[in-house]
Amino acid sequence: MITDAQRFQPFSDEPIRLIDEGGAWLAPFSCDLDDDTLIGLYRHMVLGRMVDERLVRLQRLGKSSFVAPSSGHEAAQVGIAGAVRVGSDWIFPYYRDTALALAVGWPLVDMLGQMMGTRADPARARQMPAHPGSRALNMFTVASPIASHVPVAVGTAIAQKLAGAGDATVCTFGDGATSEGDWHAGLNFAGAQGAPIVFACENNRYAISVDLQHQTGSPNVAAKAHAYGMPGYLVDGMDVLASYLVMRDVMAAARDGLGPALVELTVYRYGPHSSADDDGVYRASEEVAAWRERDPIPRYRRFLEGRKLWGDAREDELRAALKAEIDAAVKASEAAGPVPVEWMFDDVLSRPTPQLERQRERFRAARRAAGEDVEG
Amino acid sequence: MAVQNYVQTIARTLMEEMRRDDRVVVLGEDVGKRGGVFLATEHLYDTFGPDRVIDTPLSEAAIIGAAIGMSVYGRRPVAEIQFSDYVYPGFDQLVSQAAKLRYRSGGAFTTPMVVRMPAGGGVKGGHHHSQNPETHFIHTPGLQVVYPSTPNDAKGCLKTTIRGEDPVVFLEPKRLYRALKEDVSDDVDFMLPIGRGVRRREGDDVVLISYGASMGETLKAADALSDQGIAADVIDLRWLMPWDENLVLERVAAVGRAVLVSEAPHSGNMMSEVAATIAEEVLDMLEAPPLRVSGFDTPYPYAQDRVYLPGPNRILHAVQQVLDY
Ligand SMILES: Cc1ncc(C[n+]2csc(CCOP(=O)(O)OP(=O)(O)O)c2C)c(N)n1
Repeated sequence: MITDAQRFQPFSDEPIRLIDEGGAWLAPFSCDLDDDTLIGLYRHMVLGRMVDERLVRLQRLGKSSFVAPSSGHEAAQVGIAGAVRVGSDWIFPYYRDTALALAVGWPLVDMLGQMMGTRADPARARQMPAHPGSRALNMFTVASPIASHVPVAVGTAIAQKLAGAGDATVCTFGDGATSEGDWHAGLNFAGAQGAPIVFACENNRYAISVDLQHQTGSPNVAAKAHAYGMPGYLVDGMDVLASYLVMRDVMAAARDGLGPALVELTVYRYGPHSSADDDGVYRASEEVAAWRERDPIPRYRRFLEGRKLWGDAREDELRAALKAEIDAAVKASEAAGPVPVEWMFDDVLSRPTPQLERQRERFRAARRAAGEDVEG
Repeated sequence: MAVQNYVQTIARTLMEEMRRDDRVVVLGEDVGKRGGVFLATEHLYDTFGPDRVIDTPLSEAAIIGAAIGMSVYGRRPVAEIQFSDYVYPGFDQLVSQAAKLRYRSGGAFTTPMVVRMPAGGGVKGGHHHSQNPETHFIHTPGLQVVYPSTPNDAKGCLKTTIRGEDPVVFLEPKRLYRALKEDVSDDVDFMLPIGRGVRRREGDDVVLISYGASMGETLKAADALSDQGIAADVIDLRWLMPWDENLVLERVAAVGRAVLVSEAPHSGNMMSEVAATIAEEVLDMLEAPPLRVSGFDTPYPYAQDRVYLPGPNRILHAVQQVLDY
C-alpha cells in the first residue's frame, strides 16, 4: 500500500458520500469550495445532460449513427474532470464520457463534428460517434476495444514520472472493463512502477446487459485495488462533491509521487447502453425509475439552493444559454459538410506506402471511369 | 567497421541510440539486469539505469501498451517481446491501439515506437518458439514491418525505425543471432531507407526473393545454382511493409522467372502478396508463373524443425520447375 489520500478512507463498505439525497452536507469537515467552483460543477452537469439528450435526438433523426447515453453519469464525470489540470495532466477517457470531455473544455463544435461525422471533427471523421480525443487537452483519442487504453495510460503516467514534472494521468472505464486482461495488466504495471495515475471506474452496474454479479465475484470494484498495492476508493458517483473531492485528493497524491489509486464511482445509466440497445430486455422499468429519483443533477441543485446559490431564474437562464450554444454547435457541425472521400487514405503512417499510393490511384481511376467527381 | 554478430549489433545499436537521444527507453521482460534472454539489451541497464531500461511485469499487453503511452508523451520506446510467439497477449495493443492511433485521431496523436521480437524457426523450439508472425502485421494498416537478415542491415534498420515517426514491428531472425558475423558499419548515423530492398546477387536466369532468416537458405540455393551455371538474381526485401515493389517488379520483368521464399505458413504469407503484385503488374513479361516456397499450413513442428523450413533443396526444386516451364 502506498498511501491514502488524507480525508477519505479507502476500502470502505459504503460509498463515500458528502451530500445526502436532499442535498444536505454530511461530512465531518466543511465544504471549502468557493461559489464559482460550486456553480461551475452544476453548469457542467447540466451541459452534459443537455448535450446527451440532444445527441439521442440527433441519432433518432438520422444525423448521427450512434450514441452511448451518458445521462446519470454526470456527477462522476464532472467530478473527475474537475480534478484534472487541463494541459499538463493527461486524460484517457472512454466512449461514455460526454460530460467529462465537455467539462475539460472539449469544444462543443468538435464534439458535434465527431458525433455527426462532418468536417467539423478535428479527427477528420475517422471514427464512429462517441470517440472523443484532443491533442490540445491531452485527451487521448478513444478506441472501441474495451480497456485497451488502460496499459497505454499507464505508459503515459510512467513517462510523466520519468519526466519528473509532477503531472498525473486519469483513466476512465466502465465496470465491464475491469474484467479485461488489459485492465489487470495496466493496474499491475502501474502498481509495480508507482506511476502517477488514477483509474476511475464509472460503475453503472451493467456492461450492456450483464450485471455486476455476472461480471465479478469481488464485493465491489474498489476492492480489486488490494491486489495491485494501491488504495481503492468507493465513492457515490451520483454525488458530484464526493466525486470531485475524492478525485481531487487522489490526483494530488499521484502528482506528489504517492503512486496510483483506483476510484470506483457508483452511477446509473438512465438510457440504454447505446442507440443499438433495448434495455427493457434486461432491467425493470421500476429499477430505472427508482434511480431516476436519485438523479444527481436535482440532488446537487438542492445543495446549491440550500446555500442560496441557485434558483429557478438562474436555472432558466442557464438552460437557455446552453441551448443556444448547443444549437449553434449543431448548426456549425452540419454546415461544415461531409469529409472528402480521399481523406480515407491519409494518416495511416507518417508517409503513405507505395502500396497505398497505388491503391489510391486505381480507386481514383475507377471513380473517374464511373463519372464520379474525384476531387470531391 | 567491426565484425559483429546479429545480437551484439542490436545491443550496440541500442546503446548508440540511447546515448544519442535521451528520449529513447527500452522496456520488456528481463531486458534490465539480465540484458535480455538473448542479451540483445546487454549493458544497457548498467549504463542507463532503471528509468531508461525498464524490467516490466510479465505482460505483453502492458509492455506494448505502455510503449504506446510513453511515445505519445514524447519518449522513444523500444519494446522487446521475448519471442514473437508471445506477442499475442499484446496483439490487440498493436492492432487496435498503435496501428490506428494516427488514423483515428486524424493525425493528432502518433506513436513512434519499435517493438523488437525474435522470430523464426530452426532452433528446436517447437511451435511456441519458432513462428513467423509477419503476415498478421503486414495485414494491419498503420504498422511498419521490417525483418532484416544481416547484422549490418539490422543496425541500419534499427536506427531508421527508432528515429522514425511510426509504430514498427521489428522482427529479428533468432537462428541467425549468433550464426553469422559480418562487418558492421561503425557510423553512428548509419540508416537504411524505409521500404527499400537490396540485391544480394546479380543474375539473369531466375530471381530469388526472400527476407529474414530464409535469406541464408536462399543464398545457399543461389550458390548451388551458380555451381550448375545458373545465374540467380537474389533480392532481400528487408522491409515487408512497405516493401520494395519497384525493385521486385523491375528485376522480375527483366528476368521473367521468380521463386519466392518465406518460412511463414504458405497460405496468405508475404510472398502471396508479392506473387499477386507480380501477376497484376508484369504478367506479360513472365516466362513462368512465380512459385512460392514456404513453411507449411501446420503449426510449427518440433521434430521436423529443419525440414519445415524452405531449405536449399526445396528452393532448387522450385527453380527447376520455373526453368522447365
Ligand atoms: C474488447 C471488447 N469486447 C467487447 C466490446 C463490445 N462492447 C462495447 S461496450 C461493452 C460493455 C462495456 O461495459 P462497461 O465497461 O461496464 O461500460 P459501460 O458501457 O457500462 O459504460 C461491450 C461488451 C468491445 N467494445 N470491446
